[in-house]
Amino acid sequence: MQAAVQTGRMVLNAYDASAVEEALVLNAENGDPVDLVLVGPSTATETIRKALAMGASDATHLILENAEGADSHAISALLASHFDGHGYDVILTGKQSQDTDAGLAGAMLAERLGLPYATNAVGLRVEGDSLVVTRQGDAGQEIIVLETPCLVTCSNDMNNPRIPALKGIMAAKRKQIATESAAAPSARTAVAGTVDPPGREPGVKLEGEPEELVADLIRRLNTEAGVL
Amino acid sequence: MPDPIHSIEPIDLMSSILVFCSVQDGRIKRSSLEAMTRARDVASGAGLGLSAVLLGSSAHDLAGEAMSYGAQHVYVVMDRVLDTHLNAPVLSALESVVREAAPRMLVAASTESVKDILGALAVRCDAAVLPDVASFALSADEVSCQRPVMAAKKLANTSSTHSLVFVSVRSGSYEAKQAPADGTVVEVAFTFDDATLRQTLKEVVTTAGDTVDLSEAQVVVAAGRGVRDENGRALVQELAEITGAAIGASRAVVETGLFPATAQIGQTGKVVSPDLYFAVGISGAVQHTAGMANSRIIVAINKDPDAPIFDIATYGLVGDCFTILPLLNAALRDAMN
Repeated sequence: MQAAVQTGRMVLNAYDASAVEEALVLNAENGDPVDLVLVGPSTATETIRKALAMGASDATHLILENAEGADSHAISALLASHFDGHGYDVILTGKQSQDTDAGLAGAMLAERLGLPYATNAVGLRVEGDSLVVTRQGDAGQEIIVLETPCLVTCSNDMNNPRIPALKGIMAAKRKQIATESAAAPSARTAVAGTVDPPGREPGVKLEGEPEELVADLIRRLNTEAGVL
Repeated sequence: MPDPIHSIEPIDLMSSILVFCSVQDGRIKRSSLEAMTRARDVASGAGLGLSAVLLGSSAHDLAGEAMSYGAQHVYVVMDRVLDTHLNAPVLSALESVVREAAPRMLVAASTESVKDILGALAVRCDAAVLPDVASFALSADEVSCQRPVMAAKKLANTSSTHSLVFVSVRSGSYEAKQAPADGTVVEVAFTFDDATLRQTLKEVVTTAGDTVDLSEAQVVVAAGRGVRDENGRALVQELAEITGAAIGASRAVVETGLFPATAQIGQTGKVVSPDLYFAVGISGAVQHTAGMANSRIIVAINKDPDAPIFDIATYGLVGDCFTILPLLNAALRDAMN
């Protein structure tokens, strides 16, 4: 089974690291390669080296220098043209990026490729030609069987990504990274800037004997907060 | 309950905001009603109508509740396959409704089920998406929002001028308020071919103790690393029982197996905003506070006086939770009686 992994930018996202780890574990038994693809500026090469050092075989870097202006819509369109005709059995992505927390690109990519998919996966195993996915849903863990080819977005609760060993780091330096310069597809959303979230009213810190603390708290919950 | 009708007066294109109502345990989720309340205000400010969509065999029964929050048209898709969440049929059903309703916006609560389908639905319906927002507004030519980024350390001012925009709203961002409307139920035809599914839901594993839904709860008792073991857990459970709270947890104690993954609150878990939040033995890393900082009253119990949780706590108790909780539980029992 071949697996491909979309990694994040600059620093390997925790979610993407879990996707890489899971791909390596899935393919460890049959020895199939794990290929990586990353969309991001040229400075993101180190991120790819990190994932290669974990044990991935090949990497493609879709170079997008102005990645800031690209939203999930644009990124998933770029990735869809990359995957077109590749014929992977399984595509794994992180469930969201750690900076924007949008969590859209994975399912968008699956839809563009016409693949069945599952998101927020915390467990994966192969069963014949299918992938059994455990995903964290609203009311519990949903066990879903997906036919391959398919796409799964991974939670960081799925595994503990390996720390690359020196041997892997050295080997990663010798691995070729295919680069393609990507034309930025038009985004459908724009970020005008960030602001600090509204601060909370300053609270009170109660110190002293436990009995006094508890009595003080109960009084305040009753009178000030009105929640009891 | 009004009779369903199958042909309705033609709705002008872009004439409404459509709200997807998530259903759990036979009710519309509070977070959906919060999103609907905001959508109603935004729609009325922009001269648009308000519609709702409900999926599953209880859809028709819940239409009245959607109308009590202002929905003028309630689209229902009654198929039993929609009673449990599986993305392929949910996508098909929502796509049909979006095509029929032709709204200006689709608004939903940012639940795990909605996160599961939002991106794919946007591709299918050729829409733009503003996911997981803390607030949103609509002007003549754009939908704007503020959404937490960088583990909620910042709010990003984000907007879209696309003609169809999907918005998912974080739980607790708005207060749910009724405003009854004379509504009409519209049954949307839906056929789904199991053979094209390419996916099967085998089972949903729920953990004993998930008795109160975390993201809907008015009181949450959350445990962190300071709740070291089963004894600590028992104290937390007792506090939750006394206060009628749902139990939450930081990632640390989910990883150790002390609490189930469904209890996890934070950037990667659930977002909660109850009236009262007890943070027991939780240091308050941003990955955790990203999921609870909007709680109204935060009570933090931690033996480290420098723990960052005290920066956002309404009431911070410096002390070991193994000492504090037995006293607090006893005092609360007295206070509640």
